[in-house]
Amino acid sequence: MAEMWITMGPQHPMTHGLWTLRVKVDGETVTDTEAELGYIHRGVEKICEARDFTQITPYCDRLCYVSAMTWAHSYIMAAEDLLEAEVPERAEYIRLMAAEVQRLASHLMWLGAFGPDIGNLTLMTWCLRDREMFLDLLQELGGSRMHYNYPRVGGVKRDIPIGWANRLKAKVKLFENRINEYEMLLDESTIWLVRLQGVGYATAEDQLNAGVTGPNIRAAGVNTDARWTNPYSVYDQVDWEPAVEKPTSVKGADCYDRYRVRMEEMRQSCRMLLDAIDKIPGGANTHYQPGDEMIITKAPTRAPEGATGFSTYECTRGVSNFYLQGGGDARGKNPYRVSIRSPMFITIPYVAKTMIGYKVADIPAIMGSFDPCIGETDR
Amino acid sequence: MSETGENYTTFNSRSLIEVVGDVTDEALKATKIKQLLSVLAGRFFNWAGRKSLFTLHLGIKCCAIEMAASATPRFDGDRFGVLFRSSPRQSDVLLVNGPISKKFADPIVRLWEQMPEPKYCIAMGECAISGGPYYQSYNILEGVDTVIPVDVYIPGCPPRPEALIDGFGKLREKIIRIGGAPSTGRDGDKPIIVGDD
Amino acid sequence: MGTTVTKEQNSSAAKAAVENLSARFSDAGVTSEVVSHSAGKKFDFVRIKCSPEQWRAVAKYLKNEIGVNHCAMVSGTHYPEGSAERGWEVAYHMNRWPIHNVEAHTMTVHKGEELEGDEIPIEFEIFIDLPAGDSPSVPSVQDLWVGADWNEKETWDLVGIDFEGHENMHRVLNPHDSPVGFHPLQRQHKIRYHDFNEMYDDPQGFGRKPVDEGRVK
Repeated sequence: MAEMWITMGPQHPMTHGLWTLRVKVDGETVTDTEAELGYIHRGVEKICEARDFTQITPYCDRLCYVSAMTWAHSYIMAAEDLLEAEVPERAEYIRLMAAEVQRLASHLMWLGAFGPDIGNLTLMTWCLRDREMFLDLLQELGGSRMHYNYPRVGGVKRDIPIGWANRLKAKVKLFENRINEYEMLLDESTIWLVRLQGVGYATAEDQLNAGVTGPNIRAAGVNTDARWTNPYSVYDQVDWEPAVEKPTSVKGADCYDRYRVRMEEMRQSCRMLLDAIDKIPGGANTHYQPGDEMIITKAPTRAPEGATGFSTYECTRGVSNFYLQGGGDARGKNPYRVSIRSPMFITIPYVAKTMIGYKVADIPAIMGSFDPCIGETDR
Repeated sequence: MSETGENYTTFNSRSLIEVVGDVTDEALKATKIKQLLSVLAGRFFNWAGRKSLFTLHLGIKCCAIEMAASATPRFDGDRFGVLFRSSPRQSDVLLVNGPISKKFADPIVRLWEQMPEPKYCIAMGECAISGGPYYQSYNILEGVDTVIPVDVYIPGCPPRPEALIDGFGKLREKIIRIGGAPSTGRDGDKPIIVGDD
Repeated sequence: MGTTVTKEQNSSAAKAAVENLSARFSDAGVTSEVVSHSAGKKFDFVRIKCSPEQWRAVAKYLKNEIGVNHCAMVSGTHYPEGSAERGWEVAYHMNRWPIHNVEAHTMTVHKGEELEGDEIPIEFEIFIDLPAGDSPSVPSVQDLWVGADWNEKETWDLVGIDFEGHENMHRVLNPHDSPVGFHPLQRQHKIRYHDFNEMYDDPQGFGRKPVDEGRVK
């Protein structure tokens, strides 16, 4: 049968974002793929050269919009490296809790979008309902459901409200039972297993050479996680372990392993949150006013020429890096260059190559299991 | 029948239908029933159309997550008849929920042109209204209304799902007013901005 | 209390890598030093400065002898007001992570404190200064790390730095029909409304005066 190129064009219900995947098919089998990105390229790196360090934080929220708190935290770490700012310990704990709540919300959004692709529409309603619990918590911190503008150079904008920790504890304890419900729904489901197992193999060394990081590598049997290999914040003081799965076959990790790693990561995030509530300096039920030295220190707002700062951060989808250059007096309060590395920019071309050899019907399973988010891809 | 196809019997079905149709039409016009029927049918189709607005499943950026959240149990847009369809040929509403880059300007105009009349466009979020935080970018159009006529603007970055549902409500009010007017003829009609009252 | 890499491990690994690199490259003019981050845990990383001609040799040594297995980021910067030797800069950020010779169908749970020698993770930062001019170019490392592939495409697309030996270079973020030679992150391209400063100096218009101010009423 003749081969032909099919365009899974920018508007497609299963691509989880705006990108084109051209597949060359021979009957039902995929023989070649080509990914085309750039449909929402906004030139954020260029715009950030005309903004203050504090004004760049909202742009970083909008890079990966389902996991805004982690991207803002990653940028602020690089800005603190550039400006040589100190961060009080309570602020580090608050940032950790906000990042882990965001990780839960992001993995729930992933599962809520992945389930319907495989055919399980119930998951979308369940996961997005549970995600609302965590969005309410983040709304108390940052003011909005999705883009918070919460971390600041030197700390955080305002302290956790009184009672926030109690609400967090209650919601996390409820959610731990909900994860069991999801597994009850999925782990015995024949359709789920047949569609995910044996599909989309990827080994750890292959992925690392290609630049893929995050839960995708941990599904392939190695527990590399930037939260302990390049430690930052107070992850060394809270009780947790990186979630890792043994790949089901010698050919590498399949989609089922990647799904299991994210479920395990949600459990680890719950564990971290419960531990951080107990360990936060100053107590979880005290509230310091904005500007208090317990939550923010006065940081310089200008960076000298030739200074650089960069951060390595474990975002929900992989490792993200920010590289900032200072410009001295000529640039005033603005940086000279902001360079952003997005994990998904590297993963999506790799995923496109992973699909070769499988059927067209496996494409949503493979694509969804790597958890693409196009906002960060097309900065 | 002769070879030229002429038929001399008046009981040929096609010409019989034409005769009956013309006679009925003249009768209905004379008694004003035709006008009544067209008003009733128009109102009925208008009611049916605005109570079931099929939206194109297009997710551009962050506002798409709020669009998805508005379909979930907490906000539930489905009870208002808002359903998401995958193909532009089957949808009434184009909900633009993100910035339009130069690369995407052509596809979105093609999506708009593929939608059959009557169709409406809702610009959701700051990026679709005016370019939003990226208004200075080299790659982003300053609002989707530079390429597509917009009926309802929903400000917010991102607008809450309640605001999106309210935007659909304002669109329903607008449909009562303009009915099934084709989208190209609505230039004089002032677009609605949610929250402006 | 989770497993984590300690400061001592990190400093010793960075020092060992710098010694290794200096022994091999210092007479060729490639500088490598241990630098600390200025914030957070203030861990050390290795900063290397080399010239474009030496870059392939340094990259191969990093991959094969030092064990750098992850090319994280490639960034290009344009300095129109810089010196003649430094009109452009390409910065590579790389990582060495303990993923070597992974056996199939096994699970490896590293404990941070127990890693030693070449297994300890470190970050690498490589700066390559390019002379001022219209055609900056650097040898490509696409064949050493596949992760550098799309990063280099993006750097060429946005900044305009050529990567010699890079196969299949094409625009990735800008539209394919962008004008040839249009690289938006170069400094001569300004953002829209770039001289509209009122937006930032006085965003809410408090400094604006009414039209009839100063008139005696």
